[in-house]
Amino acid sequence: MGSLEKQTDPTSPMHWRGDMQADYFYPSGVAGDKFFKHMMRSDTFLASKCTICNKVYCPPRLYCEDCFEEIPDNNWKEVPPIGAVRLFTVAKLNAHGKKLANPKIIALIDIDGTDSAMLGIIASNDINKDITGVKVKAVFKPKDKREGTIKDILYFEEI
Amino acid sequence: MKEVAVIGAGMTLFRRHLLETGKELSFLATKMAMEDAGLEKDDIDMVVMGSAPDAFDGIHMKGENLIDGSAAVGKPYVRVFNGGGTGVFAPIAGWWHVASGVADICLVVCEEKMGNCYPHPQTAFRHIWDPILDRPLTPNLLWLFAMEMNRYMTVYGVKKEDIALVSVKNKRNAVDHPCAQLADPNITVEDVLNSEIMAWPVNRLDVSPPSDGAAALIFCNKDIVHKFTDDPIYVAGTGWSIDSTMWTNRDLSFPRYLAQAAKMAYKMARIQNPRKEIDFAEPYDPFSYKELHHLEGLLLCKKGEAPILTREGVTQRDGDFPVCPSGGLLGVGNPIAATMGQKVCELYWQLKGVAGKRQIPGDPRIGVANAWGDIMQMGTVILLKRG
Amino acid sequence: MVKKKEYKEWPPYAPGTYVRESDIREKKITYTWWEPEVQYSWSLGPAMSKFLQGLKAGKIYGIHCKRCKRVIVPPRMFCEYCFGPTEEWVELKDTGIIETFSISYLDPDARRIEEPILVGVISIDGASPQHGFMHYFGEMTKDDIKIGMKVKAVWKPENEREGSITDIIYFKPLNGGED
Repeated sequence: MGSLEKQTDPTSPMHWRGDMQADYFYPSGVAGDKFFKHMMRSDTFLASKCTICNKVYCPPRLYCEDCFEEIPDNNWKEVPPIGAVRLFTVAKLNAHGKKLANPKIIALIDIDGTDSAMLGIIASNDINKDITGVKVKAVFKPKDKREGTIKDILYFEEI
Repeated sequence: MKEVAVIGAGMTLFRRHLLETGKELSFLATKMAMEDAGLEKDDIDMVVMGSAPDAFDGIHMKGENLIDGSAAVGKPYVRVFNGGGTGVFAPIAGWWHVASGVADICLVVCEEKMGNCYPHPQTAFRHIWDPILDRPLTPNLLWLFAMEMNRYMTVYGVKKEDIALVSVKNKRNAVDHPCAQLADPNITVEDVLNSEIMAWPVNRLDVSPPSDGAAALIFCNKDIVHKFTDDPIYVAGTGWSIDSTMWTNRDLSFPRYLAQAAKMAYKMARIQNPRKEIDFAEPYDPFSYKELHHLEGLLLCKKGEAPILTREGVTQRDGDFPVCPSGGLLGVGNPIAATMGQKVCELYWQLKGVAGKRQIPGDPRIGVANAWGDIMQMGTVILLKRG
Repeated sequence: MVKKKEYKEWPPYAPGTYVRESDIREKKITYTWWEPEVQYSWSLGPAMSKFLQGLKAGKIYGIHCKRCKRVIVPPRMFCEYCFGPTEEWVELKDTGIIETFSISYLDPDARRIEEPILVGVISIDGASPQHGFMHYFGEMTKDDIKIGMKVKAVWKPENEREGSITDIIYFKPLNGGED
């Protein structure tokens, strides 16, 4: 009967195990490269402002996605790494569903002087506190340990 | 069905690694196409993104990731993909949007960042193979094409020297393309035959390189094309077809899936004698033998005849039937889906007479391009014509 | 709409920033590194299960499609041409002919090797013409191998077989490989 046979033996259809191995290298992009290189030498962020709608992006962008125009180099500015928590959550499990030794507070932070928000980890002892609206500031790795990625920001802390 | 015109085209530099993110590359190509057409973001009704496996860029659902660089925020948007066939399939999908009447202006963007897959995109290619029958043998993708090339050479008695002529022609043609990655004005047949053997019969200079790059095309409804140009370029025909994944059960010497796609496109374009009625071709050439294989699959010559035409100089830019005047994938680069740039965008530029030093002489009125994808299965064909 | 850019030649320039391998090695650009770990367990389905069980027993099985009148290997539950269910398993021979091959100087990780790997497609005796699968070739040199050569499977010893395509080690010339 070929393939129309019913399978009644649960061990007979087999499975094949394997994995998909690959390593990835993501260049930061034209805008990202400037942002991270700046952050390696200074404790501030860079932002870029659209010449048409005046929207300020942080992290900065090469172009405005709404106006679809390139943002020129002279429309970039430095901003202090300070913002207010727009919303937050407390993660008690890791990505694989296992309990975290120390719960993590993850927040979306509106960066002052810009129209953008960044994700960040909040350093705090009190995971039950409502920190909506609280002002926070980025704490960076020591300059000689910075590598030019988002992890150069260690965490954000309340000010 | 509405008649569809092409009103803008753009592409980026092609290189093994580009600094730009996928979004930034999409932006640069789209911006060039929009400058060509004289459009702003709000003039675009719908957007089609073509991009091959997520595994190259390393971003799952990269279609969604690339939206803001593709002028697609807040618009109807779809991503299409069939491996290497995407370079022509994405424009076909753009054509559907306008031909059906649901959009007046449709932007098509193709992007690829193969350089993200480290150390070599081969790693991602390993996962194309069947996990049960093929992967345990740890094959290298080059083996697959080497086997197809061998079958083609054996069945039709084609020599490596004739196939090497394709690499020479295309890499020399690419010298005149500003985006080209592997142009070489001095390359000879000996250089190709003496280059390192990778998997016989494939030598290093028989293969196109992996690349980062992006390209864009803008389609519009014939009813409004007069707002953009007095000399419109129209889509004359489209075709697409796919063969079985069970490639070991197929005769690899002839791409029958491409012949089916070509017949579909020629029927739409009302072409009965392709070789006589079409002026030039941009067949997909990731390998030198593929240009020949595809010329025969496109029914532009008899089976086994393509090497003879190449040897006789018929396919040179100033020959009787120019093939790959852009420099093709062998010369310009192979960022999978973004090859739309030197295939379909090239048809448009040649027909408009603006291809600069690459311009083929005479007055080309109709050209055909094809792409090829997956495990040697997908054939996609498009024809563009002047007014 | 805005004014069109009227360049004489297209593409008028090549936007994009070239990054060399040395720029990456010397960290002249910033980047993020990621090593995903993804594990898979692919179900084989009834046809492939039986095929692999057959390999474990030292046999190659094909399956019959009545409508298309073809014996298919590798076997599948349905025929992709007529889209009907396949029926009747057929035990095939473990010999066949070489349909195509390649002589690879690159190993599976794309590293160069001195002694080439011989790999290709074998159409299996007992199945319909041009029905077979990919495998390695052994006990022959790159100068011996030819399309059309007759070959025979060399199996792993019974206790080492696992129910995998690698239960066949390679195909060798049958009777010297001549007709």
